[in-house]
Amino acid sequence: MPLSLSDPTWYPIASSEDLPFRHVYHGQLLGRELAVWRADDGNVNAWENRCLHRGVRLSIGINEGQELKCQYHGWRYANRSAGCTYIPAHPADAPARRIENRKYPVREAFGLIWSAANDDQPFAPFPGAEDHDWFALRPVPVNATPEDVLAGLSRLAPDDQPVEFIPGRAVTLGSAHFFVQPVDAARSVIRGILPEKPADEIATLRYYNEQLTKLRDSLERAAAKKPAPEPLQPVFEKVSVELSTMPDIAVPRGNTFPVVVKRKWQSADGVIGFELADRDGKHLPTFQPGAHIDVHLPNGLVRQYSLTNGPGDLMSYTIGVKAESASKGGSKVLVETVREGDVLAISEPRNNFPLRRDATRTVLIAAGIGITPLLSMARFLDKSSLNYELHYFARASETMAFSSELDVLHGRADRHIGLTREAIKAKVAEVLGQYQFANHVYICGPGAMLEMVQETATALGWPDEAVHFEYFQNDKTIDASSAFDVELARSAMTLHVPAGRTILETMREAGLTVPSSCEQGACGTCLTGVIEGEVDHQDVYLNKTEKASNTCMMTCVSRAKSGRLVLDI
Amino acid sequence: MIITLYDFELSGNCYKLRLLMNILNVPYAIHPVDFFPGREHKADWFLRLNPFGQLPVLKDDDLVLSDSGAILVYLAKKFDTSGQWFPDDPAVTAEILRWHAVADDITATSSAARLALGYSYPFDIEKSQMGAHRIFRILDEHLWFGEKSGRDWLCAPAHPTTADIACFPYVMLSEEGGIGRQDYPALRRWTDRVRRVPGFTVMSGIFPAGPAKS
Ligand SMILES: N[C@@H](CCC(=O)N[C@@H](CS)C(=O)NCC(=O)O)C(=O)O
Ligand code: FES
Repeated sequence: MPLSLSDPTWYPIASSEDLPFRHVYHGQLLGRELAVWRADDGNVNAWENRCLHRGVRLSIGINEGQELKCQYHGWRYANRSAGCTYIPAHPADAPARRIENRKYPVREAFGLIWSAANDDQPFAPFPGAEDHDWFALRPVPVNATPEDVLAGLSRLAPDDQPVEFIPGRAVTLGSAHFFVQPVDAARSVIRGILPEKPADEIATLRYYNEQLTKLRDSLERAAAKKPAPEPLQPVFEKVSVELSTMPDIAVPRGNTFPVVVKRKWQSADGVIGFELADRDGKHLPTFQPGAHIDVHLPNGLVRQYSLTNGPGDLMSYTIGVKAESASKGGSKVLVETVREGDVLAISEPRNNFPLRRDATRTVLIAAGIGITPLLSMARFLDKSSLNYELHYFARASETMAFSSELDVLHGRADRHIGLTREAIKAKVAEVLGQYQFANHVYICGPGAMLEMVQETATALGWPDEAVHFEYFQNDKTIDASSAFDVELARSAMTLHVPAGRTILETMREAGLTVPSSCEQGACGTCLTGVIEGEVDHQDVYLNKTEKASNTCMMTCVSRAKSGRLVLDI
Repeated sequence: MIITLYDFELSGNCYKLRLLMNILNVPYAIHPVDFFPGREHKADWFLRLNPFGQLPVLKDDDLVLSDSGAILVYLAKKFDTSGQWFPDDPAVTAEILRWHAVADDITATSSAARLALGYSYPFDIEKSQMGAHRIFRILDEHLWFGEKSGRDWLCAPAHPTTADIACFPYVMLSEEGGIGRQDYPALRRWTDRVRRVPGFTVMSGIFPAGPAKS
């Protein structure tokens, strides 16, 4: 039968041992090249072998453990999701979430790595597969059609021992199983496995290698005598220039998905850890260091929590929640009523606190529960062997969350316990030092801490672009003196916003249901798309680029500079 | 006393010497030779250094040497205090020289295909490519069985030798000659190992491998 690009059969594409630590294997199935790599967590990824940026092969990229980095322009892709997590040409922005490489289904079983062109068929072992601990032979590539190779293999059977064909272009010869991997119309790989490790491994491997090499030579001689079939012509999807240069401006229209609380534990005095996972054991969406999620609480409130996870760590999200918090009863519900096994709705991760990976030195300063996004950042920098130091300030050592997670980092992680305000300020000045080119500092903690670090950094010559914050609160004085009209494009109505009232309030009075949470321009919940008009941004949620793009706004505090705004709502 | 390398930046044979000198921490000066498009390696002054009209040439004081394999051995014997890159043992010496000969065959095939495709040299592209595939098949098999018996390098010692340096560049540059390495997984893993040798340095078209540690 001729090869089909949409053949749903599972074929072996590599041996398990072809994927050693930090290697990228170059494979191919049914005309599609694959970059196959094992992450440090053991997960095997089989991706289209093209960087979404310029189509460069990812098989020449660098396996950084939990992310794959393209060799050319350094785009990074996450283990499991193949989502792009970093674009060096836009170091200060989180990449648009839709930039995700094509992945193929993949399984590791019976000494081999298996893949298929699509998800149409579940992976099913061949008859008798589960009864043995299989031993892989040296794979032998053959420049001949898969059909001819299968026929050639069947001719190896001695006359008194007929060959048995098994599903998926495979035969058994005695106890040995041989699979023909259809690489392309005129290219195949013979992958043999034995039901157990032979007594003399090398001699057995040599024996089969010689048999298969002879078969290869005769098949290739025969193939040279007839016209070769045309190679398969897979189509590739491209990423548009706009998408790749677009920062991640999320417009969360109440887009949530359910997760189950897999683990809830006391991480420190007053800090509860929650591990949230997909209900069916699938991986969660790609996130970048510094990202947070909205958690929709049983009492209807929405709260934001930073992810603590490291690169490519998508089987669950881990957040830290402060137990006695003054936050309008949000955290209280999580801590007191949500239990392991409960289901919560969360948003996709958003990133208002992106981490540059082009710094010569990165200083991470955390105070109290502010450790959560910085732990994630430290884990990313750690895996990429980038230079960083983490300074964690807390009142008492018992209140330091995620301590064991910090212990396994390779970089410097200093704990500063019980310092006075003055001592903290002196310590911050000491760790920052005079500003040097390509240094960046990231701070997360209470508002007073953010301001203190910002002032200290400024005094030491650090420019604004090198000082990165995540606000959980907007301390700016809001100027609500303007009056203007808003046209709601999708709701087909025009409203007048008078001085002293917010757009959010005006929309609600007109009967619209619009989500919000902090109502001070810090959390991102009320983010709304802007179609026309000039926005007077007053929030601390959007970054400079996002504000300058004039394509979205926070309706709880921001207003209009023009007389009229057209909103995508 | 200073070493001068008569060098063309894009030449894999010249790169072999830069690579070993970098690994051994040998300081040297570069005298650029305009191999392409200038054909300076056929100029009178160069032919007086190497009548074969080939790069690389290395000058150490008054001593003028040519042939990358010969120069690798010279550098190893003179500067490698560890004695690892070209060990004294007779069997290992023979083994290394065997692979130096293969390195020349790789130049004659993989490099020829690259020169034909990228530098409009009048070589038979298809024949060069087929020749390279024939060598790569044998290399892959040798390295695959090596891994199975705990040997990571081309020769028996538990460390790389000049044989690995000599064969490496035109394996890595083969794609520029239209020769894919997809069918040679063990050969690809060996190129990762070479690229992780302390002191490794790159050239245009040859990228570093990431660190093999967590
Ligand atoms: N066996 C020689 C081969 C050197 C060689 O082929 N050099 C190329 C440049 S990479 C050259 O100069 N070719 C020009 C020619 O042979 O005329 C060596 O390893 O040094
Ligand atoms: S509701 Fe929080 S930013 Fe608007």
